[in-house]
Amino acid sequence: MVTAVYALPFYLLGLWKRVFLYFGLILQGVYIITRGLHLGRLPLVGPHDTLIFLSAAMVAFSIPFNRGTKGHPALSRGISFAAMVFTASGILWQPHNAPLPPVLKTLWFELHVVLAFFSYALFGIGAAIGVFSLRQKEVFREALQYRAILIGYCLFSLSMILGGIWAYLAWGTYWLWTPKELWTSIVWLFYTLYLHARLMQGWSGRPLASLGILGFVVVMFTYLGVSLFMKSSHTF
Amino acid sequence: MTGRAVIKFFVSLKTSLWLLCLVIVVLLAGALIMPGEKAFLSVHSMPLLDWMRGQPVKSTWWLWASMALLFVLAANTLLCSIDSIVRKRKVTQWMLLISPQIVHIGFLFMLIAHLSSAAGGFKTFAVAAEGTPLEMPDNSVLQIKGIAMSFDSYGYLSDWSVDVEYWDNGQVMKQDRLMPNKPVFHKGVGVYVKDLRAFPNKMVLLEVSREPGAIWALVGGILFMTGTIAFLVLKMKREDA
Repeated sequence: MVTAVYALPFYLLGLWKRVFLYFGLILQGVYIITRGLHLGRLPLVGPHDTLIFLSAAMVAFSIPFNRGTKGHPALSRGISFAAMVFTASGILWQPHNAPLPPVLKTLWFELHVVLAFFSYALFGIGAAIGVFSLRQKEVFREALQYRAILIGYCLFSLSMILGGIWAYLAWGTYWLWTPKELWTSIVWLFYTLYLHARLMQGWSGRPLASLGILGFVVVMFTYLGVSLFMKSSHTF
Repeated sequence: MTGRAVIKFFVSLKTSLWLLCLVIVVLLAGALIMPGEKAFLSVHSMPLLDWMRGQPVKSTWWLWASMALLFVLAANTLLCSIDSIVRKRKVTQWMLLISPQIVHIGFLFMLIAHLSSAAGGFKTFAVAAEGTPLEMPDNSVLQIKGIAMSFDSYGYLSDWSVDVEYWDNGQVMKQDRLMPNKPVFHKGVGVYVKDLRAFPNKMVLLEVSREPGAIWALVGGILFMTGTIAFLVLKMKREDA
């Protein structure tokens, strides 16, 4: 837990110099690995673990995208801020140390969750690129946002499909009508809308940047809002 | 509206965007209605269409509306794909043209899967102890031979297994073992353990179900991912070039 707390000042310093962001990532990586070794499983259950994993994934995935901003610090600042918020929120939650129920001890679950959070991280980067473009009032880095969202969409779809296979083996159905599944469909349809809207004339620029930002708001509600406040198969 | 206007409407990308917006809005309404409606507590007890027919419209209107919209979206997707292939058939990067269409076909398969499960699924539940015989839909008998459970030092259930035998005409046809994430299947019907009780007697809550859409969903998922990954790789290669 202390290692995770130590990452916070580095993310704060990341607002000033990008290199500190990477120090924070290394600390969080060490925390995730040691926690995983201690628990003997993937530490991805409950808001504490998932928020810390999300912040680390966002920082890690932002590395190649920073190249596309040609040294402009705005994107890495946005990522620093998001990593700081997610890490601080994660620390506020009690870690889930109880053993997992037998149904969760499967590679299907691990792949489903890891891919979901990788995609959330990429959608977050897409939103940060959107904010960066709107604030800088310069040419929208559409190709960069599109790439982040397209890779995120690919991983998100794979996560949903693997989740469906797992659900079929565990509960006899690949689909459950619960708020989480419904919101997940909304996220998936929203990004489908984004990917198709890009092909339409008139959507380029601010509308697309705004869609990328709004998409991440829906993602965050699906991840935290639904899991915390609505009864579903994914309740924390 | 002339035939040409109808086709123009269905092959339009603008139509796809509007339909996607409408489906999102309808599902958002459903996401707000669902948690507050007690009717949804029984939504998994039977195939979806049977359940929907027995519920008040004020609870299910968004499901009917999303189904209608998805029908139109399916037609739009299919016609858009055909139109795209016909118009761009002479392009050099043929894989870049065909990969989104594979994604679309995968999506259509998934819609067929949902429709098939909603219309033709079968589901029943039974509580059973060791030795309990249960009659299956094909008139064979499933007998629970043994229930094993292990607990960790904290008292949490760490593993379980349920041994079963299928009987037909007084003979054992098949022996199998249910475990976490490992149901048993016999003639297309799956048997799942939904819950277990260790005390005072070992008991299991079993679900016997048939999900006809599962195979469609699997094929759809494979096609969807194949198309998406191919598109992603080709697109990135082209942008990097």
